[in-house]
Amino acid sequence: MKRCIILLSFMLASVTLMAQKGDSDKKTTAADSLLNSMSNDDAKGPMEIYKSSRLVLSQSTKTIKKNNFNFLVIHRFGDFAGKNGGGKLYYGLDDVADVYIGFEYGLTDNLNIDMGRSTIGGLADLELKYAVLHQANGGSPFAITLLGETALRPYGKDFTKASDRFSYFGQVLIAHSFSPGNVLQIAPSVVRNNTPIPFVPGNDLDFIALNATLRLKLSKAAGFIIDYAHSFSSFQHTQGNGFSDPLGFGFEMETGGHVFTLNVTNARAVNEINYLSGTQSSYGRGQYRIGFTISRMFDFNGHKKDKKEKKEGNN
Amino acid sequence: MLLAWMITFQAGQDLYVCKNASITLFSTAPIEDIKAETSTGASVFNAATGELNFTVLISSFKFPKSLMQEHFNSDYMESDKYPRATFKGKIAEKIDVTKDGSYPVNVTGDLTVHNVTMKRTISGTMTVKGGAISMKSEFMVKCADHHIDIPKIVFHNIAESIKMTVSANYVLYK
Repeated sequence: MKRCIILLSFMLASVTLMAQKGDSDKKTTAADSLLNSMSNDDAKGPMEIYKSSRLVLSQSTKTIKKNNFNFLVIHRFGDFAGKNGGGKLYYGLDDVADVYIGFEYGLTDNLNIDMGRSTIGGLADLELKYAVLHQANGGSPFAITLLGETALRPYGKDFTKASDRFSYFGQVLIAHSFSPGNVLQIAPSVVRNNTPIPFVPGNDLDFIALNATLRLKLSKAAGFIIDYAHSFSSFQHTQGNGFSDPLGFGFEMETGGHVFTLNVTNARAVNEINYLSGTQSSYGRGQYRIGFTISRMFDFNGHKKDKKEKKEGNN
Repeated sequence: MLLAWMITFQAGQDLYVCKNASITLFSTAPIEDIKAETSTGASVFNAATGELNFTVLISSFKFPKSLMQEHFNSDYMESDKYPRATFKGKIAEKIDVTKDGSYPVNVTGDLTVHNVTMKRTISGTMTVKGGAISMKSEFMVKCADHHIDIPKIVFHNIAESIKMTVSANYVLYK
């Protein structure tokens, strides 16, 4: 019944709207109609569908704007429960699984260069992120961003030659926002490790993976994120090898300039190459952990302008 | 539509238009001052009736920092839902467009921002010079009046009242 009423009221509203459109010419004055004719070009610009460039496991399609600098600290604590968790280790807070410290810089509004370093494997990564397509009102229903990453392990003895220390990662992020703040993202990717990670005989060097992420709006500033990844690696899915699919849940809070995400994941690693290659911790064994992402945006555009204005003021 | 065109033709003599009105907003808050501006406001002035109308696309406001602009559109103004701010008013004084001079004016009408309409009387100055008309005005807009929520935890602190300045140069509509 309620639904019927809502539906009916919608229909009524649209009929009234249409009617208004029809006879608005009669009611409005000359000035009105002239102004209306001048203002029907309501720009159907691109939409900002994400608040942050990082979700829980995945990155988002968002690129940071030109001359902006986004400083990132992504932290994963130790196991919450299980053998290596529990109260003795303050539910993992005494332990560090992985810390990623890095930054993103906007070369243009659509092209970012990112650098960072992870605790796991001492992995240093260099990324290029390019927003090919933005979701737009009355335009494209999807946002598409390409991500390319080269990663290097400068330390460690398992490598015979320098090239063995490299890994590569390529991803296509495709996102669609159903309504403001509610976004689904699917991201197929390719991982290439020159040395198998983890270093076990029979492990795949190349494999394909798929990430799926749902962000749901809780309020204007807050959102809930579910982030899942699956590696299509036959080695990882051989019984007894002990791999699990990474699954994360996050609470995202945006405070203007800062984005803070509190999360729970079974994956120990932050970097895509690391968690897609070697997630061997599972929820079932209590091997999930608390983590957080802090992003702090610095804008170099504003500062320059302020200085200019001040200079002009002095003159 | 046809009717509208006819009216427009009839009243064409008295209609003045401006397609590049400059509109600026200032927010003065303890942490920082924020200024944004657009020069794509549209306005129509009917010299016969004293009608003065304005419309501006919210997303056309340019901020010095891109993140501010993003927050202004998505968090404060919800410009995807309410793309425009408008003003439909009438000047109380009679302006003689054939006589050069500067006229102080009071315009009373509906100011619609963030889909909330307020009855306002806004004062300004109208200048006539050789058949060209220009208009300048400065007024305050209270965020609360237009149901613009200011999130409690924000980095970019904004003022509760925003100072707006409007300046438009009109040409006779032909």
